[in-house]
Amino acid sequence: MRLGTILYLYRVRLRARLVQELLAVAGIGVGVALLFASQVANTSLTGSVVRLTNDLVGNATVQIVARDPHGFDEAMLARVQALAGVRLAVPVLERQVRILGARGGQDVDLIGVNTTLLALHSPLLAHISPEQMNEQKGLAVPASVAGRIGARPLTPVTLQIGARDVQTTIALPLQESDVGSAADSPIAIARLGEAQQLTGMADRIDRVLVEPQRGRDALVTGELHRLAGPGLSVRPADFDATVFQQAEGPAVESTELFSAISALVGFLFAFNAMLITVPQRRNLIADLRLDGYASHEIAQVMLFDVLALGAVGSLVGLALGDALSHSLLQAQPGYLSLAFPVGSVRVVSVASILIAAAGGLLAAVLGVVFPLRREIFTGSASELSTSAPRASAGRRAPGALLGGVLCIGLSTTLLLGEIENVSAATFAFFSLTLALLLTLPMAFTAVIGLIDRMQRPVLGVSSRIAMIELLSRTTRSRSLAIAATGAIAVYGSVAVEGAHQDLRDGLERAAAAVSLGTDLWVTPTGSATTLATTPFENRYAAAIRSRPAVLGVADYRGGFLDVGDRRVLVLGPPRSNPRLVSADQVIRGDPGLASFHLREGGWLTVSRELATELGLRVGTPWRLPSPAPRTFRVAAITTNFGWSPGAIVMSSESFARAWGDRDVSAYQVLLRHGQSLSGGLSQVRSALGSSALVVQTASRHQSNEIAGQRQGLARLTAIAALVLLAAALAMAAAIGAMLWQRRGRLAGMKVDGFDEKELWGALLWESLMLLAIGCSIGALFGLYGQVLLDHALVSVAGFPVAFSAALWLAVATAGIVTAIALLVVAVPGYLAVRVSPALQD
Amino acid sequence: MLELHELVKHFRVGEGEVVRAVDGLSLSIARGELVALYGPSGSGKTTLLMMIAGLLAPDSGSVIVGGRDITQLSERDRARFRRSELGFIRQSLDLIPGVRADDNAALKLLASSARRDAQRAIEPLLERLGLDGRALQRAEQLSMGERQRVMIARALSTQPTLVLADEPTGSLDTERGMEVLSLLAEVCHERDVAMLLVTHDPRAAAFADRVRALRDGQLFEFEPGGAYAPSGAR
Repeated sequence: MRLGTILYLYRVRLRARLVQELLAVAGIGVGVALLFASQVANTSLTGSVVRLTNDLVGNATVQIVARDPHGFDEAMLARVQALAGVRLAVPVLERQVRILGARGGQDVDLIGVNTTLLALHSPLLAHISPEQMNEQKGLAVPASVAGRIGARPLTPVTLQIGARDVQTTIALPLQESDVGSAADSPIAIARLGEAQQLTGMADRIDRVLVEPQRGRDALVTGELHRLAGPGLSVRPADFDATVFQQAEGPAVESTELFSAISALVGFLFAFNAMLITVPQRRNLIADLRLDGYASHEIAQVMLFDVLALGAVGSLVGLALGDALSHSLLQAQPGYLSLAFPVGSVRVVSVASILIAAAGGLLAAVLGVVFPLRREIFTGSASELSTSAPRASAGRRAPGALLGGVLCIGLSTTLLLGEIENVSAATFAFFSLTLALLLTLPMAFTAVIGLIDRMQRPVLGVSSRIAMIELLSRTTRSRSLAIAATGAIAVYGSVAVEGAHQDLRDGLERAAAAVSLGTDLWVTPTGSATTLATTPFENRYAAAIRSRPAVLGVADYRGGFLDVGDRRVLVLGPPRSNPRLVSADQVIRGDPGLASFHLREGGWLTVSRELATELGLRVGTPWRLPSPAPRTFRVAAITTNFGWSPGAIVMSSESFARAWGDRDVSAYQVLLRHGQSLSGGLSQVRSALGSSALVVQTASRHQSNEIAGQRQGLARLTAIAALVLLAAALAMAAAIGAMLWQRRGRLAGMKVDGFDEKELWGALLWESLMLLAIGCSIGALFGLYGQVLLDHALVSVAGFPVAFSAALWLAVATAGIVTAIALLVVAVPGYLAVRVSPALQD
Repeated sequence: MLELHELVKHFRVGEGEVVRAVDGLSLSIARGELVALYGPSGSGKTTLLMMIAGLLAPDSGSVIVGGRDITQLSERDRARFRRSELGFIRQSLDLIPGVRADDNAALKLLASSARRDAQRAIEPLLERLGLDGRALQRAEQLSMGERQRVMIARALSTQPTLVLADEPTGSLDTERGMEVLSLLAEVCHERDVAMLLVTHDPRAAAFADRVRALRDGQLFEFEPGGAYAPSGAR
């Protein structure tokens, strides 16, 4: 068939079904938008760290890096440079600090470098000359950071580093033309000497970036390993990006899971809209066959429909998704920013665009071709002229039910066998999703039948008319598509939000396990207060202890340690803390015995995924790759305390030995009996003098930790809300269109003596039952999905999860979606019943 | 049973032009009487039926059904009247697709009965109309004649005293048309129902007790083969 003919046919038909086509475009657009926005949120979070890492390291491929927060002697640089095969060695000092300006403060990654970095062709300084760098005084910060803290060029700012306040100035705000994509990163660049002076680390650096000569990478890496010794590690130059991707894994996977659900909801939305146009397309196919067109020519016409619909829907979706990623789904690093320089750069990869657009096209293909596959490929004109439902649909129902039951069985088997990896969790979840779709038709029919049998208590003509409409076999496909939209959206939301709530509750328990057991916390300021991982000189304990309100002061130590590709959180509570390791965080081992061993020293606990990766069990010895490596025994296997890469707990004293360092990262302060918290706070504050340390109550410390963790999970809630809203609108649009098409029949029913109120009531009853049944079935499956995801979070990632059945969430979600859709449907329903009574069509 | 007194309905169209759809029409139909009304397109048939059914208010005149003036009733009461006292057989066979014949026929009964009771109540009527073996078939599985009979069953389901039939044979072939006309006549006499049959079908006169012609909104005596008779009846 000629393209001109296809275009003509499309144009002519489009006029007649513009509203339905727009609905289909909107459906595909919503699915593509959700898929695209969540992809961008994911790639942006990873991309901001990856870009900053790559922009800094330039041509360097390997680095030698300190395990110790105090770094290593700068003299090491000359030894590295002298190694065979090294083309260039560049010193770097990097510290997490807080910068305070006139308008406020922000945590930044302070990067101290010298002009040799320019020789690495590091994009970070590509537009800065050696002279400019040598002349720089103070900090160069991106204009976005300067704006946020209210600092102008050459104005003084305060740096808070551990317990110290240091004064410096802002040299110049860096624009995108100076530092490229790092313009949106939370960084501050200083000359190495100045950075050393500001941080009090004279002649010390914490890594050397190395660019080997061409083809000598292996040789250089081997030489660096020989040079490194126990306190240093040799890593790829972009190691931070690798470690971050590992850390971000659970958040990305959960977002991707929701992206897939979003895409499914979008597809069902499109499918609903497509069903409205199926009779028109069916008639067109019949006409084309009568006119002598062959199957492949009819397929060409339908293919053009698919391409037009998919392309327009995808474009609309990409535009909408772009807007969403700018506003609602911005990358929210949450607690990850404590260990990584996470910026606000927005990364849109070609893959994100292609995946989202491909999803849109697939929805269009399935939406157009699936309902008409028989007509397009095998149907004859005579078969097409009948509108009777096919008998085979009835025969397929038991098969679908059996398939659904098998899928549920498969998910249950995986659940009972402990879900061991992300693939198994994803497979189990999608098996359950498939089970929902396969069992929905039978469940829908069963519920309708049940309501029909129980009709006596349902009074009124409206409900009876509604029931008759729902019993119609002709509209069954459309009813099922509408119910499936609600079911999938509610199912996904209840499962993910339920698991999210359980995870939040679990994290609160973990935060309580870390934060409580003392009255007050003394920590460095800024976000460093949250996990207490920033070390400072241990010289304030005596002053605090001297205050009359204070009963005792204990040293708390914490930090991050790179174990393989994981940046593990190490918690070092003091031996005196009664909650050294909380019982509800212990997965394997005896909590009491574990606490006893930790107090004893020489023991530690490891989180589940770390233990699995390293093959550790309770009682086995493990040489900890800390700055002063030591062998510990494993006292228990725990949750990851909410830190996805993994967690280790040891006593503060063991920490000091393993790090070879007496610095602390917090003090835990116990107040005398009867002493008020506010009084204690005020006395400890005065004891700290002008230091940059802050004091907070244990409950406040816990709240901060919870807030950080919640921030990282907020994306899920945003996507869940969007999916539900999209589903509610999708169902409302589909039902609205269905009711609008019924005006002719409503006009006839008015002649039969049914008034507008009764007919409107009937439409609302029908919509309510359709929505409520779909959403309720979805909610039921959602509860099972929640159990599945809860177990996956524990088994795969080792997260602390408080198991529960989110019954209220299920009821509320189903109720809210139903109510929103019903409210929207009420308007077209009301307008439809206002049709004038008619004696003829 | 049905008395129309000086019924008037004029419509204003275009620039001041007045269409006299119904213009001082009077007619009475007794119980058990079938009156056939012939008229060409635009003669005012539909307007007349709409006014008798209480779907359109006349400019003047009255529509008395069982001693009650329908034009004076509230909208709600007019709907109740249509549902319980009036049977309206329409030309359009707007059955609910995908739904069984008995459910379609019993639709009006749902106002006062549960579905099962309505199905039971409609059973004898379906039998009488020759649909006893087809009650469980869905609408689209019925022939056109069967669909028309389902519509007749729906109209008669509430045992109305007045039945209005608007071109009931319009969608049927000759044989089915005759069957339906015969059936309507039988039902009218059996059930003592006043029936007004508006039609183009020349054979309807043979089944009617009285025949009238409608033109320009006024009633005339029907003369077979006369000016107001349908072409086939001449």
